[in-house]
Amino acid sequence: MRTREVYVTGFGLVAPMALDAATLFERICQKQSCVREHPRFKALGFNNSAAGFIDDGQWQQIAAGFGGNATLHPRQSVLAEFVARQALQHAGLTPTAFAHARSGLFLGANKYCADSHDLHRASRCMDETGRVDLDQLLDTPAASRALFGRRVDQQTLHLAETLGIRDHISTHSDACAAGTMAIGSAYRAIERGEIDLAICGAVELMANELPYYMFNSLGALCQADLPASEQSRPFMPDRCGFVISEGAAMVVLESAEHAQRRKATPLGRVLGYANVCEAQKMTSSSRDGSKYEECMEAAIEDAGLLSSAVQHVNTHGTSTQANDSCEALALQRVFGECQEHVTFTANKSAIGHSLAGSGAIEAVLSLISLRDGVLLPTLNYDHDRTEYPSLKFLSEPMRQSINVVMSNSFGFGGVNSSLVLGRA
Amino acid sequence: MSIAVYIHSAAVLNAAGSECADLLGTPPSSQPLAFDATRRAYPLPTPRLASDLFDRKIQRSVEPQGLRLLHCVARLAPALAALNLPPARIALTAAIPEVDAPSPCWDAVQAIGEQPQKPLAQLLANTPPLHALTLLNSSVMAYVAEALQCHGPMGGFCSQDNAGLDALIEACQQIVEQRADAALVVSSSPNLTPALYLRDPHQASEAMYGEGAAALLLGLVPAPDTPITLRIAGFARGYSADPQRGAAVGRGVIDRALSVEKLRLGDVGQIVANPEDAQLMSLIADHPRDVRSARAMTGDLGASALLTEIALALHHTHTASATPGYTLLVSHSRAGHWGALLLASETMEEHT
Repeated sequence: MRTREVYVTGFGLVAPMALDAATLFERICQKQSCVREHPRFKALGFNNSAAGFIDDGQWQQIAAGFGGNATLHPRQSVLAEFVARQALQHAGLTPTAFAHARSGLFLGANKYCADSHDLHRASRCMDETGRVDLDQLLDTPAASRALFGRRVDQQTLHLAETLGIRDHISTHSDACAAGTMAIGSAYRAIERGEIDLAICGAVELMANELPYYMFNSLGALCQADLPASEQSRPFMPDRCGFVISEGAAMVVLESAEHAQRRKATPLGRVLGYANVCEAQKMTSSSRDGSKYEECMEAAIEDAGLLSSAVQHVNTHGTSTQANDSCEALALQRVFGECQEHVTFTANKSAIGHSLAGSGAIEAVLSLISLRDGVLLPTLNYDHDRTEYPSLKFLSEPMRQSINVVMSNSFGFGGVNSSLVLGRA
Repeated sequence: MSIAVYIHSAAVLNAAGSECADLLGTPPSSQPLAFDATRRAYPLPTPRLASDLFDRKIQRSVEPQGLRLLHCVARLAPALAALNLPPARIALTAAIPEVDAPSPCWDAVQAIGEQPQKPLAQLLANTPPLHALTLLNSSVMAYVAEALQCHGPMGGFCSQDNAGLDALIEACQQIVEQRADAALVVSSSPNLTPALYLRDPHQASEAMYGEGAAALLLGLVPAPDTPITLRIAGFARGYSADPQRGAAVGRGVIDRALSVEKLRLGDVGQIVANPEDAQLMSLIADHPRDVRSARAMTGDLGASALLTEIALALHHTHTASATPGYTLLVSHSRAGHWGALLLASETMEEHT
């Protein structure tokens, strides 16, 4: 029994082709991929234009729900506010709740990357020799803000001000693990008694030209000649890289006392968390899975459980050869003879890899599985050809009541984190 | 705190020098910026990394703020190795400003100028292949973890001045909660690039930035053969986006940091704070003689400022004139973060 139990009382989410968590969950249940051909990638002649991206129609709806003039704010802030409003509404909280409680905000995000729209704006300020006239650029507020006013913590500061956060705000830039780490940090802050109420998660908008180019240069992106929806195929032998994506998700965490005092209905609990830095290799883990294993075991231990208590794992499952191999080996080691009692899913098969956003999105999907007793399928998964037959990945949704889920996020640079979530 | 956590060792790199004692020397002159001669700051040449500790490719692929951090933390390697701890028991936390994406792209900006009709093609053609990794703060942490063999709990924080305190508190808590027996806390200032000034012109007009890095080794034991030790005695942090609430939050943070040792502000021998922060100074107005700051020696180091001040506090305990007492470090970011850290200088006898 922990000194302070930590409840999840609300969540919000935006992903490619889904403006809320229920829509995304339902899409994956119906085995509908959120990965499409990105029109800008296609127009640029990239070899492979598959991506998960928030399209213009979604952006219009997100902007319409924004509390101010969305065009004057960076998209990261607009998206953060949209998702936070969902989470607050779901939790039955008003935005002022954070100003009247010991509260914190913990957001994961990686570096903002200029996209072709930004370049186009800057190109309008080029002088006759082709050099960017910075004075002219700075006199064009929208353009200068777009290029230089965006910092990694811009959405954190925007939300902190909007919500009147009282006690603690932090931005976590731990690559693909940032979302999970933000949730884990909030959980620890509540568990330690530093705060009673937190909103936490991640916002990531990386599905644009420069990140695509950079990750592709690393050989990390899928370049297979497959339809876009079939390119992310975690744990299959023919996987060959991840599909870049974007999105945001946040959860509201509360101490049990705080939730009970306001008669909030818990949707789930955070039971345990671990974050470790392994630094084996910049883009892959120890080949035998031992480092991922250590991380998962530390999270299970933090939850005060045995591995046999975990019934379902939302894997990191990026669809790269190295990650999936290491994670599969680690899962086999962690669960050993209990494997047959555990089910596994890889949400990136449907959404792609939204880097910092992925851990938060997957945590929300895991919470829905806990609440509703529905386990998500892994798209493009074929039991007959699987490389890891002992791991029970679902290729169809399954109705099954579960009590404990573990959600993994393993980032570039060996930044590993695991979150253990429980039913309310 | 139920378990004592000590500042075991420290390393700094800034305009004053690469030794903590340099922070007590003659203030260096600020320099005009290469890209804007009307502004002055405290820039640093990019350091070269020790090839026995770091792979040579790191020197080429990591941008200057990361190289400063790595150069600095390398000097803690012997002290960390002497602790003889398993790598899994050594935590790593970092305060790293966002990696400055526009700066690696300045080459691309120049190339776009030469062929302005194809801006995106030029951007892509002039972006280094490893840029994806240099974009990620975790890459720098991974290089630290690999070179110094610290594979325990980790946490990266960015990007305001408060990140240093967040990283220190995280490290301290990992030790107190027995997930680690020692911790490296590393930090770097932002790079002095046009982006730093263009990002927030109002802030930039007030600040005299500097480049630097600082690293601390925290442990369950102080460094051997030190007659006076430096213990983390208390900390607190708060936040208010509303300046009207700022003073109350700051006062509360100071009180909470002091309360662990049942102290009042008057019991503190030394206060470290930015003397140019009027709101902060109003909170300690009764003790103006006790306030010091290394800012005049280094410029505003942002996320690395606090660790640099702690390194100087540790250096003070090593001097012949060192006496037991308390040092309170108070920080206040422009974004509204408040932090207070209480350090106790104690003789070894007090622990035995």
